[in-house]
Amino acid sequence: MNGAINFTHGFSHGVEWGWPIAVYLLLAGISGGALIVALLVRFYKKQQVDTPLLKAASLVSFVTIAFGMVFLVGDLEKPLYFWKILIHYNFTSVMSIGVMAISIYIPLTLIMCLYMFEKEISMVLAKKSQLVSYFAMIMAILTKIRPFIEVLSVIFAVVICAYTGFLISVLVRFPILNTAILPALFVVSGLSAGTASAGMVASYLFKEDTHSSDLKTLHTIEWPIMAVEIMLIAMLFVSLLVGNEFQQTTTVAFKSGIYATLFWVGVMGVGFGLPLVLNFALGKKMASTHMAFYLSGMASVLGVLCLRMFIIYAGQTFGV
Amino acid sequence: MENDGKRRAFLKYIGLGSVTLGTAGYSVALETEKKEKKPHYGMIFDQNKCVGCTDCEVACRKVNAVPEGQVRLYVENKTDPATPMGKRYVRVSCQQCEDAPCVAVCPSKACHRDSKTGIVTMNPDDCIACKYCIVACPYDVRFINEKTKAAENCNFCLNTNLDKGQAPGCVEACKYKALVFGDLNDENSYINQILHVKDSVRMKPTYGTKPSLRYIPVVKVGV
Repeated sequence: MNGAINFTHGFSHGVEWGWPIAVYLLLAGISGGALIVALLVRFYKKQQVDTPLLKAASLVSFVTIAFGMVFLVGDLEKPLYFWKILIHYNFTSVMSIGVMAISIYIPLTLIMCLYMFEKEISMVLAKKSQLVSYFAMIMAILTKIRPFIEVLSVIFAVVICAYTGFLISVLVRFPILNTAILPALFVVSGLSAGTASAGMVASYLFKEDTHSSDLKTLHTIEWPIMAVEIMLIAMLFVSLLVGNEFQQTTTVAFKSGIYATLFWVGVMGVGFGLPLVLNFALGKKMASTHMAFYLSGMASVLGVLCLRMFIIYAGQTFGV
Repeated sequence: MENDGKRRAFLKYIGLGSVTLGTAGYSVALETEKKEKKPHYGMIFDQNKCVGCTDCEVACRKVNAVPEGQVRLYVENKTDPATPMGKRYVRVSCQQCEDAPCVAVCPSKACHRDSKTGIVTMNPDDCIACKYCIVACPYDVRFINEKTKAAENCNFCLNTNLDKGQAPGCVEACKYKALVFGDLNDENSYINQILHVKDSVRMKPTYGTKPSLRYIPVVKVGV
């Protein structure tokens, strides 16, 4: 008798969480991804010095998560009530858990930046001698726990990336969002965007040679990450295709309409196609140019933005 | 003789112990019984009786001061175009889930279950308007009130009519008795008497949210 009665009218206005949320999710992904990649490279190569890559990644991770936070709070209809989250803590809410993780993660990225730019900060503070001595005191303590901070940063960076997925995968009304694969996809696409961002900033701001050992490593791991990303998207699509009635209707999002264009042009074309063409199809000479390096990096980030936009918009458009 | 004294003492302690434990157990049992007595408010929408006059909508907006153009309660016309004479209307409003996703996801506990009545309701002062509850609701029956800038839902007129000991505005306004409101935990309530004799359904039961709203659909007779 359950099919006998139902209603289809809803009180929301279609996509309640719009593009600022997609941007915020992208920024959190870049932040986490950049820090994970740079620190893992450091651990794997047993680096002792602060490489341009790690400097770039630390800066990127702090700046993006800080901006992401501003975006999130600014996106609220009552931004000035944000502190209510911190005092009325709800342990069953993914958002509350995420806020707690972020409030640990942001200081971690800040500490990573302090390690990286200790000299520069000391120089700026040099005019006020008292501040310099305080700063030196804090850094002396922080330097002792640096290995611990680095490991903790990697763990929380993964948590933040996964959180952006879990945040929307708990929304049962939307089949595209309510999948087990979404948090994994967001971790991997975060890695992809983070790798590209950290690489570009390392080269542009910290004058790392685009053919240096570290950037070569990034260039090598870029493709397996992309392959896993494509695989996860394909799995998401297949799980919808073979799912129940509601899940099947959402596959239209991949096939026709504005969201299909966004997906095929933005995610597949710009995000995956352009970097592949720039690096492999146009010959070795083209692939080693600076233009190819930056263009391919930007295309990767733009592709991940398109992926977040597609998930957010198509996800909320096709509800049960 | 020495043994006898010990036995007597033993029996005495056993007796005392069982009395204290028994009383304690009984009082615990009493307390749980008291807890079970907490109300569980529910509502029936009888599609067979609804004529789609929307008096309930008008009453709801008036009682709860819902801003113009917004609704907590909407009567949707679900008449099949193939059989235009067989009118069918459906009440769209908060389903008052026992396992409410909105309460679970609210990061500031603004969307909460009222401690006295168990009704899912809102504390507008704590709402940060993140809209997480709106997207988490499987029924899409929540919205941001334009005046208070807080998320809102049908709370059975908790702060208005119910507070004054009256039935919710929509129930009072319905001329056709298509709406029945009552305590599902009270065996003798009218709502339970109806549920005992009529078949009713919950909306989207597969989500496992256990809605407290029951719908009595129009069904073909004489199958």
